[in-house]
Amino acid sequence: MMQTEYSKEKKVGEGTYAVVYVGTKYSTNRKVAIKEIKTSGFKDGLDMSAIREVKYLQEMNHVNVIELIDVFMAQNNLNLVLEFLPADLEMIIKDSSILFTNADIKSWLLMTLRGVHHCHRNFILHRDLKPNNLLLAPDGQLKLADFGLARNMGSPQEILTSNVVTRWYRAPELLFGAKHYTGAIDMWSVGVIFAELMLRIPYLPGKDDIDQIDVTFRALGTPTDRDWPEISTFSTYNKIQFYPPPSRDELRRRFAAATENALDLMCGMLTMNPHKRWDPTKCLTSEFFVELPEPTVPEELPKLNNK
Amino acid sequence: MTATTSESPKEPTGDKEAVRTLQRVTDDDLYRHSSQYRLWSFTPEQLNQRRIDINARAALRTDQNLKEFKEAHKELTDEELTALELKAVPVTVEEEYMLVNYYAKMIISFAGKMNLPTEVAATAASFLRRFYLVNSVMDIVPKEIFYTTLFFACKSENYFIGVESFAKKTKSTPESILKHEFKLLESLQFTLMNHHPYKALHGFFLDIQTVLQGKVDLKYMGQVYNNCKKTITDALLTDAVYFFTPPQITLAALLREDEALTSKYLELKFNIIKDAPNEDGNSDPIIDSQKRLNGRKLLEIIRNCKEIISRKNSTKQEELSRIAAKIHFSQNPQSVIERVKRQQQSSSATPDPEESQRKKQKT
Repeated sequence: MMQTEYSKEKKVGEGTYAVVYVGTKYSTNRKVAIKEIKTSGFKDGLDMSAIREVKYLQEMNHVNVIELIDVFMAQNNLNLVLEFLPADLEMIIKDSSILFTNADIKSWLLMTLRGVHHCHRNFILHRDLKPNNLLLAPDGQLKLADFGLARNMGSPQEILTSNVVTRWYRAPELLFGAKHYTGAIDMWSVGVIFAELMLRIPYLPGKDDIDQIDVTFRALGTPTDRDWPEISTFSTYNKIQFYPPPSRDELRRRFAAATENALDLMCGMLTMNPHKRWDPTKCLTSEFFVELPEPTVPEELPKLNNK
Repeated sequence: MTATTSESPKEPTGDKEAVRTLQRVTDDDLYRHSSQYRLWSFTPEQLNQRRIDINARAALRTDQNLKEFKEAHKELTDEELTALELKAVPVTVEEEYMLVNYYAKMIISFAGKMNLPTEVAATAASFLRRFYLVNSVMDIVPKEIFYTTLFFACKSENYFIGVESFAKKTKSTPESILKHEFKLLESLQFTLMNHHPYKALHGFFLDIQTVLQGKVDLKYMGQVYNNCKKTITDALLTDAVYFFTPPQITLAALLREDEALTSKYLELKFNIIKDAPNEDGNSDPIIDSQKRLNGRKLLEIIRNCKEIISRKNSTKQEELSRIAAKIHFSQNPQSVIERVKRQQQSSSATPDPEESQRKKQKT
């Protein structure tokens, strides 16, 4: 718990509420990331994001969720010692010098789903899944990170804020301003990430919140009250443009390399009605993970080239 | 291979399935990994020892301070020294316990007055009690971290209230609320997740109606639910929270509310009565007897728990004032001396006009 157990070697990032350093745990020589939470300038005391991150990471223990190794206080600053994860999925997707195969995509998706499954089993919603928050360990393991927006699954009457998840990965119920939602919002994000892995460009890049609604339904069709009966209860529903859903052939053309099982899985996660959207268990037991090719073993997944 | 012999040979995935089942992480595994279990669950002996150690450490420091005070004040009269011996005494383990529980109770009723959600109130009480499993009331008096705890519980339960408006509502100041926030977080060992028995109550409320379908009245069940909710809130102030899991506490509350209903439910759920037909009709004697055994074990556990949550622990107001005064005197020996001096003056024939004036102002 002592600060002297760790060295802070290099500043690697700075956000609104934290500075991240790379360091070493002296006793084990293990490389770590130290997130120093800024405390001055927050008039309401310790920041909510920091509280959430500490709260949820303390409870989880899974190979596909970032490990919180230690927490300590130094010079009146809160320090989170996290496992050191040098890359993220966004970097890999954007790096055009890296080629990856369907087996690689399957492996990353599998690890993402396992991480999400663990969160949901613990009744925790991540609420900010995106390639940038899927970190990659040197041994190829993918880990869910950044729990600054996470929360417990709400009880039935509890009102939740719909202003969560980075725009491009936001589920339709959130776009409509739903006050009650479930783990299905995380599954939508995973579906969009899956599409992005296959396309290698963001799948639903809305320019603003209004545009996001348009982009989403143009790509996937505007939901109707036939497949989502509660939809007309959202006040904004009547004001939106109607688009027909894409035909299977259109999807096949857009995702040229995807197998039928891959498309089934993606469409399962991108189902408009959150009640019918596939949950992690249904995804993990889907045909896609049984058919060939087998997912690449994590150690052999593509890595960032050394700069 | 007894486990696989009962499997139909037509299913080729049978063996694979069995292997997978073995590796599966159970809900029990998840709870065992929770901070509530890892750091905040104890045996009665462990908990007792912990309280003794915390008290002893603070008492030692208090005695040390007293000794230093006496050495620094050689001018003390015999009367003053006697008063010190009598008044400036560290509080006992039992007194600490009474005081902390009183404030834990207060924090719940205060949260109620502020219309805060049940879970926030429960977490605040839990935080306060955990804080005093690390610190002694002689280190920081409960009054001083009372609002800090409630404010922090709001944040931790995602029920954010800005510190300014919180201070206004509680007639305190932002500075005093935030002063000990870090100390609180550190004392909680940076673990904030609290599993309370209320969620389990909702689950059992539904499951009892499923298992005893047609045999229970919904209106009556609603009454059971509301009464159990109150019992659970009281149970949060007992040591049951350190010895039992949240659903065990819930079952104990249900048992206390309606013994016949709860026993019937558990009997059916766990096939406790031999030869009773299984829910799905076909029964496996090995699994059945295991289930029965688990059911009986559980019943024993929740009977134990019921006994603990049924214990009354009400402390009288004057007792609390006495403890508070004891802490004050033991931590501020100077105040004992001043008290002696005041008493001497007021009992002397010619009262000091200045002193009585001051006293008047005070009152």
